[in-house]
Amino acid sequence: MRKITTAAAAGIIAAVALSGCSATAPESDGPVELTMLAGFTGGDRAAYEGLVDTFNTTHDDIHVTLEIQPWDSIAQTLPAAWATGQGPDIAAPNFDPNVVANYLETNSLLALDNLGSGDGQIDADVLFPAAVDAFTVDGSLYAVPANVATLQLYYNKALFEAAGIAEPPATVEEFQQDAVKLTADGVYGLSLAERETIQMWPILQWLEGGDIVDATSCSVLDTPEGIESLTVWTDLVKQGIAPVGLTGAESDSLFSAGQAAMQLNGPWAAAGYKDAGIDLGVAPVPTGVDGDVTLGSTVPLAASAKTAHPAEAKEFLAWWTGKEAQKQFALASGFPPVRTDLADDPELSADPVVAAFAAALPSARLYLPGVPEATKVDSEGYVPLIGEITRGADVASAAAKASATINGLTGCK
Amino acid sequence: MTQTTALPAGGAARPAGREAPRRSRTVRRGWQAWLFAGPSLAIILVFIAFPIVQSFWFSLHDWKIGATEQKWLGLANYERLFGDPLFWNAFRVTLVFAVVSVVLQLVLGYAAASALQREGLLTRMVRSVFFFPTIVALATIGLVWRFLLDPSIGLVAGITTSFGLPAIGWLQDPALALPTVIFVSVWKNVGFTMVILLAGLKGVPAHLYEAARLDGARGLQLTRYVTLPSIRPTLLFTTMILTINSFQVFDLVYVMTKGGPLFSTDTLVTMMFREGFENFDFGYASAIAWVLFAVIMVLSAIQLRVFRYDDVD
Repeated sequence: MRKITTAAAAGIIAAVALSGCSATAPESDGPVELTMLAGFTGGDRAAYEGLVDTFNTTHDDIHVTLEIQPWDSIAQTLPAAWATGQGPDIAAPNFDPNVVANYLETNSLLALDNLGSGDGQIDADVLFPAAVDAFTVDGSLYAVPANVATLQLYYNKALFEAAGIAEPPATVEEFQQDAVKLTADGVYGLSLAERETIQMWPILQWLEGGDIVDATSCSVLDTPEGIESLTVWTDLVKQGIAPVGLTGAESDSLFSAGQAAMQLNGPWAAAGYKDAGIDLGVAPVPTGVDGDVTLGSTVPLAASAKTAHPAEAKEFLAWWTGKEAQKQFALASGFPPVRTDLADDPELSADPVVAAFAAALPSARLYLPGVPEATKVDSEGYVPLIGEITRGADVASAAAKASATINGLTGCK
Repeated sequence: MTQTTALPAGGAARPAGREAPRRSRTVRRGWQAWLFAGPSLAIILVFIAFPIVQSFWFSLHDWKIGATEQKWLGLANYERLFGDPLFWNAFRVTLVFAVVSVVLQLVLGYAAASALQREGLLTRMVRSVFFFPTIVALATIGLVWRFLLDPSIGLVAGITTSFGLPAIGWLQDPALALPTVIFVSVWKNVGFTMVILLAGLKGVPAHLYEAARLDGARGLQLTRYVTLPSIRPTLLFTTMILTINSFQVFDLVYVMTKGGPLFSTDTLVTMMFREGFENFDFGYASAIAWVLFAVIMVLSAIQLRVFRYDDVD
């Protein structure tokens, strides 16, 4: 009897396994079908869909189907799918560029060797340098930037006017003074998130000459500069210029409700704020003690190592980063182009939002680029540190604790 | 259950001559039973039993999805787990969540059930109102409450500030976040507990109360000596289901706080999710799953024992 059960179970397992593996597409004379998965669920979604449409209408031999899913779902399914040779041909695996390293551990990414400036080639020399660095491992490029964004200073013109401030702040001192001045009557000077979003705090630290880790991935949070940069802003938060403990979404709704005068955010937020009726201004991040700086972010776009159509996938990625596509994308989304050689394009510089975010590209730094275990450094080191010090913990001892955690994760000796 | 286990014992004591035909009939009937159970059993084996066993295998490795070779770690993941302050934090949070929410749900559910026992239009309407949150998905409930409790734009803050009271960051303050999540969980589930206990209360024969009254029992004595012993199976079922669900709480916490702020609502399952699907550390996440499995097994065994202690049937 046990044998029968085992045999039946084995048979069913085999049947399930076989049906799962029967996804090989039959060859046909039509265009090569590629699937692409990405998490662009926000206001910029239409710009990506428009880009794929343009590709399909200009290419008879390749047809790309774009599927949009929330980033969470992609993060849960794609690692297993790609590692086992299933899933889409092309995907933006995460909004965090650091996940490229995770996918490389399972050899899931196709090396992009069609480099050069010709047709169908990826011109890595003109792409956003920090992104190319982040996606290059052992000399091979494994992803191109699906987009590049910089954080800028959003400000509420009506609140500025009410507080008697004519211009957005240009230096870090003005930034801090304005934040204090704008804080009154249930309005915060600055809407600041501590978690579940692109980090805003590194910019504040950089403005004051501090940093998180150095080039060897060792924490510099507990150096005198690190502690000073954290202390200045923590004291201001304790004064009440910004609420404590907000997530990214909560910080955004605070600004859209007109209850905060300034926020550091990316180009994706602009449309929503305008819809909410905010009299919106976008300015460069004020100049810090070490000059201009802001946070850049880039979404990797990669191809599966086990795709049945590697040549076509590479051709698509080359087209995506090409001049025509990037111009179309920038105008449709307000994001800066991922190429640095479009800065002088008359149409792009005429668009104030694109121009503002593109102007910040040269001074943009990525968050924890190339740092081992970057996602844990964020979730177990940096985010708890910001949470503790804004809630009253001693900055020096909290920074020392976070440094120990971070150094343990990155393997810094 | 007692009957089925008693049968073979009784059979063994019988003379050998009468035993043989009995066994063959049992075997034949058993074979048919297996045939009927087969499809469900196969699904359970493939989709539940096999992954459970496999996750134990994962937990002994530094498991990377799709890698050709997995690094054997033995029990190192468990050692790391027991030395990880975040694990003990998650364990404490889970325990507090489970104990407080189970007790509150039982007490409030029982109170609601006994208050709404009588049949009538009003009681039926009130019962429906209590039950309503139960049928809504936890994630939806979490999102709605998150909006309601938002200190800047939420309804609750709007009401408190209009009375001159400060707006409270219910989910932003580490001291308040866990009590708030527990409150929402109880608010959602108390209707479920009420319905189950109501069914139990309705099943208590009226003659037991009559007899107890004749013996002079009054008020709380009736509850203590008649109602509670009579609904013990229902209480056992409710407590076990609630406990198991509470230990596995995930969706509500994930939607409302993602385990934050400062890990104050980080339960074992949100930690497991983070380690598995954000840090891709599947071996470590599997180890957490197995510790959780062991904890739930032990607790269920204790509950079975406590509730059955003086069972006479």
